[in-house]
Amino acid sequence: MDPKIDEPHVSAPEAAPASAAAATGPGSTRRDFLSLAIRLSGGAMVLVAGGSALGGGAAPKAPGEAYDWEEHLYAYLIDTDKCIGCGSCVRACKTENQVPDGFVRTWIERYVVGMEDSHVDSPNGGIDGFPPLQVGFIATKSFFVPKMCNHCRATPCIQVCPVGASYRTKDGAVMVDGDRCIGCGYCVQACPYGSRFIHPATHTASKCTWCYHRITKGLKPACVTVCPTGTRQFGDLKREGDPVRHAIEHDHVAIMQGHLLTEPQCFYLHLDKEVR
Amino acid sequence: MEHARHVFRVAFVLVVVLAVVSLARGFLVPKSYGLYGPYRYDNVKEQMNARTPAYAGAGACGECHADEFKKRAAGSHKTVNCEVCHAALALHVKEDGTVVAPPVDRSFTLCARCHRKIIGRPVKFPQVVLEQHVEGPVEGKVCLQCHDPHSPKP
Repeated sequence: MDPKIDEPHVSAPEAAPASAAAATGPGSTRRDFLSLAIRLSGGAMVLVAGGSALGGGAAPKAPGEAYDWEEHLYAYLIDTDKCIGCGSCVRACKTENQVPDGFVRTWIERYVVGMEDSHVDSPNGGIDGFPPLQVGFIATKSFFVPKMCNHCRATPCIQVCPVGASYRTKDGAVMVDGDRCIGCGYCVQACPYGSRFIHPATHTASKCTWCYHRITKGLKPACVTVCPTGTRQFGDLKREGDPVRHAIEHDHVAIMQGHLLTEPQCFYLHLDKEVR
Repeated sequence: MEHARHVFRVAFVLVVVLAVVSLARGFLVPKSYGLYGPYRYDNVKEQMNARTPAYAGAGACGECHADEFKKRAAGSHKTVNCEVCHAALALHVKEDGTVVAPPVDRSFTLCARCHRKIIGRPVKFPQVVLEQHVEGPVEGKVCLQCHDPHSPKP
């Protein structure tokens, strides 16, 4: 055996107490040296990463000048008893947000329910209203349910995004960064409410933003602005005396698919058990 | 001496790797990424200015059309925003101030969207069975011949 190689016949009790100082000393083994090098480089990486994160911490407080997103926390309220299925909201959303043909960011569903059977329809999302309908069973109740992105607090669509394109703002809107989105469609599949789609022109995910360009200017979303019956309401949970906040605090509100624990921020009044 | 050269070599490689990583990070990670979470914060501002609001609300319409505004506000269509029937203000008044005729649907379908009796609507909401309400085929009948949309009476 070549005596110059001082490895690897070091017994276990000898190697274990090798300290950092001993590892760099002349009596140290290659194994000790490499393990120390790996640990040091790992530490250096953490330092670099931590340094850049700390450097980023000193950021501007609010988007824009007049608008402070810390002062708002939005919520949406839908009273299904009031909806007449006119589709004004769907048309307004399309005009306001230039939603491509064949897609909707909000839509209306019609439920016709009887003891034996039930029927749900939503022709083109209800954009032209609803046609007369004959069902082959005795309908005991029928109603419209407007649907849209629930802007969930614990939303799966953000969790699955591999590039950090989906995010939730501090004022509560779930949005998509079109510049970062790679159009993989994970979020479209992850959303239990079917509120996302891949835009046919940009090939990126698209969804309701609660009309973020409107609400940050003090306006209501377009769907709320045009709703003729007050079915759709938009409110700010951080504002005293807000009607939506009052309804959520005092009325019996329901959420869609609560068992999924997504914490939706769209609340429903008079929601029927049949609605999924 | 032999050992010292090994240390120097590894340290050199380490420094080069660190430099490359931090340089690549600077180029690849967007400027505002990670300020408030794993997303690009600049997009929040981009979304705020994504487009000019198209719908302005009935109040904006009233600035020029005061008579119709008052009439509507006193009638049973008081909760119906002008833009439901007259389309968004942005389609009527362009950004440069030019005024064009808004696209208004004057056919029966506009009224029927809300007032045709169909399964699903709340029972208390005013609805008509078109076939019983007018004589002959409903297509082509214009509700506006008898009803004033700004202050409708049954």
